[in-house]
Amino acid sequence: MSGALALALPRPVRRQIWSIGGGKGGIGKSLLAASLGWQLARLGKRVVLVDADLGGANLHTCLGLPGPSRGLGDFILRRVERLEDVVVDTPFPRLSLISGASDVLGAANINYQQKLRVLNKLRALDVDVVLIDLGAGTSHNIIDFFLISDVSLLAVVPEPTSIENGYRFIKSALYRRLRNAAPNPAVREVIDAALDPKNAHGIRTPLDLLAAVEREDANAVAPLRRELGEFHPRFVVNQVRSPADIAVGHQLVTACARHLGVRASYAGYVHYDDVVWRAVRERRLFVEKDPDSAPSQDVRQIARGLVEGETLALAW
Amino acid sequence: MSAPTETHYGVLGIGPRATPEQVERAYRHAAGLYDQDSLATYSLLDVEEREQARERVEAAYAVLRDAARRHQYDVSLGIVSPTSAPAFAPAAAVAPGPDRPPVVVLPDPVTGADLKRFRESRGITLREISTASKVGIRYLEYIEAERKEVLPAPVYLRGFVQEYARVVGLDPRPTAESYVARVVSAR
Repeated sequence: MSGALALALPRPVRRQIWSIGGGKGGIGKSLLAASLGWQLARLGKRVVLVDADLGGANLHTCLGLPGPSRGLGDFILRRVERLEDVVVDTPFPRLSLISGASDVLGAANINYQQKLRVLNKLRALDVDVVLIDLGAGTSHNIIDFFLISDVSLLAVVPEPTSIENGYRFIKSALYRRLRNAAPNPAVREVIDAALDPKNAHGIRTPLDLLAAVEREDANAVAPLRRELGEFHPRFVVNQVRSPADIAVGHQLVTACARHLGVRASYAGYVHYDDVVWRAVRERRLFVEKDPDSAPSQDVRQIARGLVEGETLALAW
Repeated sequence: MSAPTETHYGVLGIGPRATPEQVERAYRHAAGLYDQDSLATYSLLDVEEREQARERVEAAYAVLRDAARRHQYDVSLGIVSPTSAPAFAPAAAVAPGPDRPPVVVLPDPVTGADLKRFRESRGITLREISTASKVGIRYLEYIEAERKEVLPAPVYLRGFVQEYARVVGLDPRPTAESYVARVVSAR
């Protein structure tokens, strides 16, 4: 093939949707999304950040921008026709934003058709990475964005409440995925029952659920096992203060594998540091303001690892 | 919960070729996971489940840390023959295999902060490196902190960094070359 012809051919585009969820609010998820998006753009990726925290959007503030006049809500409510019309530039090359700050969707309720339209249009954006900042909680909208992502990040901080919510998030996401794959109403019923912690089947974990489904319908369990095998959340432990905090990420991965049957991985951690707080006060991104600080280096490490498909693994 | 028929190796999450050093590290990870203060399991398991898991970990460790008991156990699993001698090669003598992740090459130049970050991400302490490499903890701290005024001559420093790299799972030669070249040029 001649060089000229090779140049004339369009490069194959591998557009990816990444999302950052975390059951609990106030764990620095939006800052993480903004700084990860910034870092990906620095690595040469064309990135659009999407603020899908429709009840409490503030990603624009993390980026030092005033609240854009148009946002995701305007597209969802068809005030604008094209998703591209709500994409705004940021001060940073290759990084743009779809804000969620228009406040038209305070209740964060969108119906299935609206959701499908958003997802399809996000996939069609001419960028390398669509990075979605999900709101707190485990509502269906949040979970659905998480599930359609090529890279599903789950942010936690090393505190009991955050970890507990993180597990709840994983279970909610997985059960919704399994429910979507359930071959018949009887199996769906078992999955619905599993969402109640005091369910009559005694189901506490996804592994219990599969056993219960197998008892109900032995043929139905194979597709669910496949879904379980393909479910792959990646932990980011934010605000670590010690090596023991860093180790929490490894422990979460092991606990997920052994006790939930979930193949999670550890994308990385970000140190707690006052540079983050100081940057927030100035409405600046810490990765840009103080690129040599420990948290900035941590985010760089996470971005590189995700781009190159690497995760943190224990040394054995 | 894990299956009751799980082997001791499975309980610790290692393979049967694991070195004593790897057994030790895997045990500390598993013991931490089921500790009563563990963040990772407190909301996942109830007190009884956690206690049972901890007992399995302790039982596995008691066997695998003891050369004679481990050999006996391996014989019972059919991994080795009864007539073979207990084989416990130190980590340095064990070739990278399926039980050990591939070595990593950090981007050049390698700094002391890079080494520390990599070590911490693998959950390895300086004391472990010191025990496995026989390099004093103080020198390991100097290497991470890049205390140029107290670091040894390049020929020794290269050896120390190679040992450090080997224990944490970095490719020893390029790691040491990159680190030493940078530190020496900055002196």
